[in-house]
Amino acid sequence: MSTTAAGPATPPGPPAGSRLGRVAWHWRNNPKRELWFAWYTTVIFYNIFFIVFFPVTHAQPPPHPYWSDAQVAYWFNHNHDGLLIGLAIIFAIAGMTVAQNALIAYSMRRMSVSRAFGYSYIVMYSLSAVPGLLLLCVVLSVGAMRPGRDPAQVHWLYDFAFLSYIGTMGIFLLGSLIWMLAILLDKNRVLPKWFGYLNLCNALTEVVVAPAWIFHQGVLDWNGLISWWVNMVVFGVYTGAFIMLLRTMIQREDFGDGPLPDLRKDDRAKASALAGTPR
Amino acid sequence: MTDIAQAGPQPGAAGRPPGESAERPARAVPGQPDMWVLVLFEALVFTAYLAVYLFHRSAHSELFLRSQADLSPWLGTLDTLLLLTSSLFMLRCVQASRAGAFRAAMSQAFITALLGTAFLASKITEWALLVHGGHGFTSNEFFTYYFFLTGIHLLHLLIGFITIGVIICQLRRRERRSQEIVETCATYWHTVDLLWVLIFSLLYVVR
Amino acid sequence: MRRADGELILFWTLPVLAVIWASAFLLFPGFTHPMSPSMTAAQVAGFYRDPAHLSRIRYSMILFNWFGVGLIPMLMLLVMQVRRMAHRTPILSYCLLGCTAGGPTVFLIADLFWLLAAFQPGRDPQLTLMFNDLAWMTFTAVVPFLIGQSLIIALAIYLDHPDRPVFRRWVAHFNVVIAAALVPAAFTGLALGGPMAWNGLLPFWVKNMAIAAWIVVMSVALGRNIYRQRADGSDQRAPEEAVAA
Repeated sequence: MSTTAAGPATPPGPPAGSRLGRVAWHWRNNPKRELWFAWYTTVIFYNIFFIVFFPVTHAQPPPHPYWSDAQVAYWFNHNHDGLLIGLAIIFAIAGMTVAQNALIAYSMRRMSVSRAFGYSYIVMYSLSAVPGLLLLCVVLSVGAMRPGRDPAQVHWLYDFAFLSYIGTMGIFLLGSLIWMLAILLDKNRVLPKWFGYLNLCNALTEVVVAPAWIFHQGVLDWNGLISWWVNMVVFGVYTGAFIMLLRTMIQREDFGDGPLPDLRKDDRAKASALAGTPR
Repeated sequence: MTDIAQAGPQPGAAGRPPGESAERPARAVPGQPDMWVLVLFEALVFTAYLAVYLFHRSAHSELFLRSQADLSPWLGTLDTLLLLTSSLFMLRCVQASRAGAFRAAMSQAFITALLGTAFLASKITEWALLVHGGHGFTSNEFFTYYFFLTGIHLLHLLIGFITIGVIICQLRRRERRSQEIVETCATYWHTVDLLWVLIFSLLYVVR
Repeated sequence: MRRADGELILFWTLPVLAVIWASAFLLFPGFTHPMSPSMTAAQVAGFYRDPAHLSRIRYSMILFNWFGVGLIPMLMLLVMQVRRMAHRTPILSYCLLGCTAGGPTVFLIADLFWLLAAFQPGRDPQLTLMFNDLAWMTFTAVVPFLIGQSLIIALAIYLDHPDRPVFRRWVAHFNVVIAAALVPAAFTGLALGGPMAWNGLLPFWVKNMAIAAWIVVMSVALGRNIYRQRADGSDQRAPEEAVAA
């Protein structure tokens, strides 16, 4: 085993051995460990979020907005345990969302644009969690906790929950535009221009979802073919893209100020070694 | 009268701004390849919207036919002609810029913007007329699609105005003028035109 | 080192805030004997209609509304401390910044729901029950940012320079314990009675005492740091090895 150099010189490489040993080595020595921490936190969060929101609580895809009081009450009772357990998990782990916003703000910090972009993004997206996620969780929990509640009230809670979640648009609209603008103006090539344009697509999904506040049925209601399903495809592509791009960004990071170097073939090998995958 | 940029790229050359890596291969597409990613993606999304429209149309063909009769084919045709002409001028703008005739290119860009504005005015007039006639966003299923599709398209048009603005800024500059950016924006504008043609065909023409 | 940059003023708002919060906490009749989720609608309505309670509810909640975000300056001072640690990037201070936005906002929402419940006590008891549920649920279960805050601080300390740390390691261990103490509160929706209900041992007593302990301990640690850094001038130097902000 080689000795580790003092200071931020390039580390000699993780020791051959168990995966756990390599992870521990990276934890102690990798200069990018904070960035990897943020990235892995983001990935883990999305996985848990997907499992909780889709199969556990059945809150996604959303149930119908045109249901009667009785149908809504039935949905709550039918999903009673899934809702309360799943949403409790979200209450415990939603703090993980800050890692994604931090990493994205960091990407903007690395760009040749003003620091205001990154700070705006952090503030906007930190706010977004409250109306855009946590209100849904609180309200659905309250709706589920008392099976004997008046169905008309339960229906009000149902509307409140889903509309606040799906209908919180402005933050994601403007936040995406801020990131887009930063990427398009950037001279450090931190993120590719096509992803800048993809931010525009994501911003437009927030416009497309606006009719959910108006329609109770059809393709533009809160679980409609256009305003939910097509939007989700766009959002899914966008999220998948930025997760992969942020990973590449971390691999390319040289902690300098100028253009981010591309990953070359030998860098790719080094990067995968640093990430702990076999060469 | 052409402006020869002192420190900028020579017009008529590949149009790369100074500082851009010389390793970049000759471009296979006009403008940034990245813009084509957007074009493709938006085309896919619009195709999805139109597919949903067609599917629902076949389920309620009588209602849709009846409602389509309330649309003015003349206004629709006018809109299409306006946008097609604007694309023509955009094309000429790019060609002029490539040849170094920046003053001419700027006027072409302004005319493009003007035609786009005429489209905007025509669309808003048409909307006003429809709403006045009792056909709104929530009136019936057809008009929901109509206002949604034309509305989203209009939003893309407004973004198109921004891209024209970027073109004009680029043409105005003496140094670091980027032909690539001009072509990129032009690509976007042509996409807006293409999307309109699709919408026009499905909403106005196909009965 | 006497520098009139207001940092000490911000810091010394903390004990004042603590007194105000403690007073509001004791003033609210729903805390001193914590309301049970198993109360019926009639009992909850009765609680809000009781003239002995109504003023106390309103004034305590108004106090909380005014001063609920009062902890933000302290949290920002903590962010600045994290920024001074020997990290390669400012990512952890960004994470902490994100967490701090969430906590007070959520608390404010709970406050709004209580005030709403008290605004028209003559309402249908079912409605009052619903507002009361919303308030308690928000107050008790929405702990993610508090958990995140503690874990980020702990992580930041663990990743700091081992020989010249900004905070000593026991602060990190303490934060991990606090985070763990807050987790059960997230699960309060599952119980309408017993130790997991929102008036129960874990979600009410343990959680609120943990938050109080965190505020006290972190204030003391923060205060020590601020005074030490102002005395030896280290708050003027750029953070070690970190990229300049």
